[in-house]
Amino acid sequence: MKLNIEGLLVYFPYDYIYPEQYSYMLELKRTLDAKGHGVLEMPSGTGKTISLLSLIVAYQRAYPLEVTKLIYCSRTVPEIEKVVEELRKLMEYYSKEAGEKNNFLALALSSRKNLCVHPEVSSLRFGKEVDGKCHSLTASYIRAQRHSNPSLPSCRFYEEFDALGRQVPLPAGVYNLDDLKDFGRRKGWCPYYLARYSIVHANIIVYSYHYLLDPKIADLVSKELAKKSVVVFDEAHNIDNVCIDSMSVNITRRTLDRSQANVETLQSTILKIKETDAAKLKEEYRRLVEGLKEANVARETDIYMSNPVLPDEVLQEAVPGSIRTAEHFVGFMKRFLEYLKARLRIHHVVQESAPQFLKDISEKVCIDRKPLRFCAERLRSLLRTLEIADIADFSAITLISNFATLVSTYSKGFTIIIEPFEDRTPTIANPVLHFSCMDPSIAIKPVFERFQSVIITSGTLSPLDIYPRILDFHPVTTASFTMTLARTCLCPLVCNLRNPQHGAFWEGGEGPVIRNYGNLLLEMSAIVPDGIVAFFTSYIYMENIVASWYEQGILENVQRNKLIFIETPDAAETSMALEKYQEACENGRGAILLSVARGKVSEGIDFVHHFGRAVIMFGVPYVYTQSRILKARLEYLRDQFQIRENDFLTFDAMRHAAQCVGRAIRGKTDYGLMIFADKRYARADKRGKLPRWIQEHLTDGSLNLTIDETVQLSKHFLRQMAQPFKQEDQLGLSLLTLEQLQSEEMLQKIAQIAHQV
Amino acid sequence: MHLIADLSCPAMAALSEEVLLVVKRVRQRKQDGTLYLMAERIAWGPEGKDRFTVSHLYADIRQKISPDGKAKIQLQLVLHTGESTNFHFSNESTALRDRDAAKDLLQQLLPKFKKRANKELEEKNRMLQEDPVLFQLYKDLVVSQVISAEEFWANRLSLNNVDHSASNNKQEVGISAAFLADIRPQTDGCNGLRYNLTSDIIESIFRTYPAVKQKYAENVPHNLTEKEFWTRFFQSHYFHRDRISTGLQDIFSECAKQDEKGLRSMVVQGVKNPLVDLLSLEDKTLDEGYGSNSMAPSTSSANKTVKENSNSAIIKRFNHHSAMVLAAGNIGLSPRGPAVKIQEAIEYEDLHMENGKKTVALNLKKSDRYSHGPVPLLPQQYTTSQDIINSVNCIQQEIANYKPCLTQVMSSSTASSAIAALSPGGLLMQAGSQQAINQMVPSDVQGELKHLYTAAGELLRHFWSCFPVNTPFLEEKVVKMKSNLERFQMTKLRPFQEKIQRQYLSTNLTGHLEDMFQMAYNKFHAWQTRQMLRKT
Repeated sequence: MKLNIEGLLVYFPYDYIYPEQYSYMLELKRTLDAKGHGVLEMPSGTGKTISLLSLIVAYQRAYPLEVTKLIYCSRTVPEIEKVVEELRKLMEYYSKEAGEKNNFLALALSSRKNLCVHPEVSSLRFGKEVDGKCHSLTASYIRAQRHSNPSLPSCRFYEEFDALGRQVPLPAGVYNLDDLKDFGRRKGWCPYYLARYSIVHANIIVYSYHYLLDPKIADLVSKELAKKSVVVFDEAHNIDNVCIDSMSVNITRRTLDRSQANVETLQSTILKIKETDAAKLKEEYRRLVEGLKEANVARETDIYMSNPVLPDEVLQEAVPGSIRTAEHFVGFMKRFLEYLKARLRIHHVVQESAPQFLKDISEKVCIDRKPLRFCAERLRSLLRTLEIADIADFSAITLISNFATLVSTYSKGFTIIIEPFEDRTPTIANPVLHFSCMDPSIAIKPVFERFQSVIITSGTLSPLDIYPRILDFHPVTTASFTMTLARTCLCPLVCNLRNPQHGAFWEGGEGPVIRNYGNLLLEMSAIVPDGIVAFFTSYIYMENIVASWYEQGILENVQRNKLIFIETPDAAETSMALEKYQEACENGRGAILLSVARGKVSEGIDFVHHFGRAVIMFGVPYVYTQSRILKARLEYLRDQFQIRENDFLTFDAMRHAAQCVGRAIRGKTDYGLMIFADKRYARADKRGKLPRWIQEHLTDGSLNLTIDETVQLSKHFLRQMAQPFKQEDQLGLSLLTLEQLQSEEMLQKIAQIAHQV
Repeated sequence: MHLIADLSCPAMAALSEEVLLVVKRVRQRKQDGTLYLMAERIAWGPEGKDRFTVSHLYADIRQKISPDGKAKIQLQLVLHTGESTNFHFSNESTALRDRDAAKDLLQQLLPKFKKRANKELEEKNRMLQEDPVLFQLYKDLVVSQVISAEEFWANRLSLNNVDHSASNNKQEVGISAAFLADIRPQTDGCNGLRYNLTSDIIESIFRTYPAVKQKYAENVPHNLTEKEFWTRFFQSHYFHRDRISTGLQDIFSECAKQDEKGLRSMVVQGVKNPLVDLLSLEDKTLDEGYGSNSMAPSTSSANKTVKENSNSAIIKRFNHHSAMVLAAGNIGLSPRGPAVKIQEAIEYEDLHMENGKKTVALNLKKSDRYSHGPVPLLPQQYTTSQDIINSVNCIQQEIANYKPCLTQVMSSSTASSAIAALSPGGLLMQAGSQQAINQMVPSDVQGELKHLYTAAGELLRHFWSCFPVNTPFLEEKVVKMKSNLERFQMTKLRPFQEKIQRQYLSTNLTGHLEDMFQMAYNKFHAWQTRQMLRKT
């Protein structure tokens, strides 16, 4: 259908529309009009992605000079593929309705592992191996060497691409990863480099968060993206953690040992080169004296993304003299490594700020802040000069140099914690230096500053006001949308089980709680058809509960009703269990999946329809509060953003709980039970932090239930849901035709769907 | 052990069944005798006699119980009917061995026959469930003991032998996930545990854990007896996965390794559905050393406690068990390709116009017509299209020439009263109204009558099928059927007649039934008198 969204003609590739989709598009349009950022929460399964795509594509067509590009960031590879497929659908609709072939170029970008077509390289299993191998075939100096020595191996796909691929832009169309590979094979071009090259002029790019948020990758890939782009972060409920992860560094003794080896390799290589090709080193020295001006020039034109690892001052200055020659730099790194080693030789926990660390290092080994800041850049230059093929081997020393640059650049927002051993195993010495980022806004800041509109959206972003605070930006729109339902297809229930005391569990004093959990699961296994997913608060906790249930014979009884599959720390094993779980749901046997909140399953796997008729959340998934890193972060949040510790912890727990229970509802024709098996959920501070679309259905009558009451209500709900549900039942309520949409009354109703914060 | 029965008794020799095992000195009801295990049945004959006083088909045996640790060495057979028979092995020196030999053989034989028996039962059950008329008949005749179940089924099952073959290759029955739970050990009161194993459970174990089956084939009966094998199984660390293997000599330790290997290979194979493949979920993982929680629990077992190790073993075991159970009952759903999965994942079915699938609901005014199908064509006169055209022309001409004769028209009031009188229920229509039976008789009586008819029909069918009476068996049957008929008349038909009399309904409702019975009696008497004549 064709919609009129405040004067903008939007092609929507379906015959019907959900009211909330219309409302969502309205808010999105207003955000784009204002050229500002937005935070939008809409339940999963209400067609968020297609609404986003329809509106932004329409906007791009109507105002090609205002919005030139859509950068769509999602979290997982399947999500990326899904977005591309929805986009393809939209484009097909366009060409059918408008009758013309539009010249949009949309493509997905992924790592080499998913795009490589080189027969040998692509057969490698791990992403890092593929990257390393690819680099060893395509790095510029390798290719330069090949001029003199043609027998060196090469990648013909890259060579072909380099020779021809840049002349003609990729033909308009929608490309998913397989399409790119097919195209690459047909032309004999490397799909990865083709995609990386093509994102500059593509209208729509779909890739993962890291390409924008991780400074190390963003610098390589996303540097030249235009300012007039709209950036969408989908499934953004964990965006702060992604930001923090990309800026945090951990150094263990093993890292240092490997760095030591790296430094020695560097040293010997330098000696060798000195004998054979001293001019090269001199040339490098000359370049370094001139400073990093090239980079500076690029930045001034405002099209480059600023790199947080490469602060402005660094660009204006030349590399300090003390590390300018290769030998001096290697010596400098050695000293730095020795210092770190000494710091790891401790018996108690040390926590300090970046300035304290810098003061200490200058007192002890006379290393100044300034050369430290240039470490990362200096190492990169050296590795280039020395023509080192396999950069993957030098990951340890690269890590150390990045740490050096980060610690000397940011005086705020980071903390250094050195722990002599793991908390759980105090007898085994395993010292770790955590350099952890506590401020997610550092990594995302360049994104907000650079692009005109950034949309943060997800099914679970409640409470909405916290994201702008922790990411430090000012949205023009902050809205939460409810799910209009013709029948109440979700049924949240709070079971009044006592919460386990985390400490008490280890002493074995939690028998009754565990047994109650078991009884609940057993009862549910008897009444819920097909699949049940149960989430626990942590992996160790789940392991212990499973063992207790096994001893008490609860699991055996559960097995009479359903098969049991359990998440393990091993991703491959869990994948297999998941597939078998789905198979068991598919063939009618029914199964239970025991899983962990914050785990990979809770984050990336959907349990649509019969794959998840009930989700049980055992306990409140608080993060492990004894962690020093977390404590430091909480302190920082309190001091900098005035967010109270408890508020943040509850927010964090509830967003994960919401993620877990939200896995079961993936659309309006779907239905599922959401059982919160912990009485703490009934409290206002927890309930209030659930997404609005769940909160709405959590009435007083569904709080504080006993196991029996839970079972009764569940039975009732399931029986109702099992009745046939037809399109006519939805029409006019949660599903609209174009005419219905245009009626005055409906427009008023729609205005109430968006809940502005 | 295979020998052909070569007994002096002519009656037995006639049977000439394969005798698989003969055990002497077995007591039954305090009488010494010999126990025979044959191809299809188990039999016992008292000492010195040449016929069996006890004989059970294997198919009739529900279970055998061989209680251990009792003073008497016994074998108890429980039949489906609930009866049971005890055999006491009284040859002191070899009693135990004899009993075990008999038991082992039974163990092998019973499952084969059990399946057959079950199948028959299932088939009967299915027929009764699918056919409510038959079920009612069964209730009327068998449950009220007019005829026996065997008689009832005698010529029914054979009718269905045709589709029997179709249901013969029925789908395999899956395994209950909780089969291990069904063998809960019970304490026997003196510091020991008792496990009750049935052949079903053993089969489940074999199907789920092929490694155990292999071990069984390797070791039983050469190295271990069956009992020893299972005893070891239940003692093994393999069975109790939460106990960590202490490296003792255990024939099942290898099984655990094989399972581990199987699980590995399943894991290495990977998953076909990209939506659940956690390995390729992340596009770009952080490099080593980055990230805030790289303190992921180390997977090396070095710094794990014994408890943690056993916990993760339990989890592995559950995953493996469920996967194996699932595989054992696999019906092979064709997996869909990854592209299809992704397409499915983005589909919003309710946003599309439903097209093509729209159907008109069936609204039946007369459901009997629908269920009985078209009525056979009666011979009738057909009119050709020419005839029709001619007659239409005729009528048109008539109408064109029609002249109303207004002088002879009735007044409107007389006309309407005439119409009223001619309408159903009117003055003139009463005499001719034949009220149908379904309006006169209440529906419950109708239903009862219907049941009576079907039951009587069934009995009569049995009765008439005996003619011509040319075998002694039929002779016997016809007499029995006649008495059955009489009994039916007494117990079912009479009360019904009295009932309808009480309700002042016309009694000729059952007239036809009575006629049918009378016809049968006449036939029977005719046959009987002829029989008497022949005998005298």
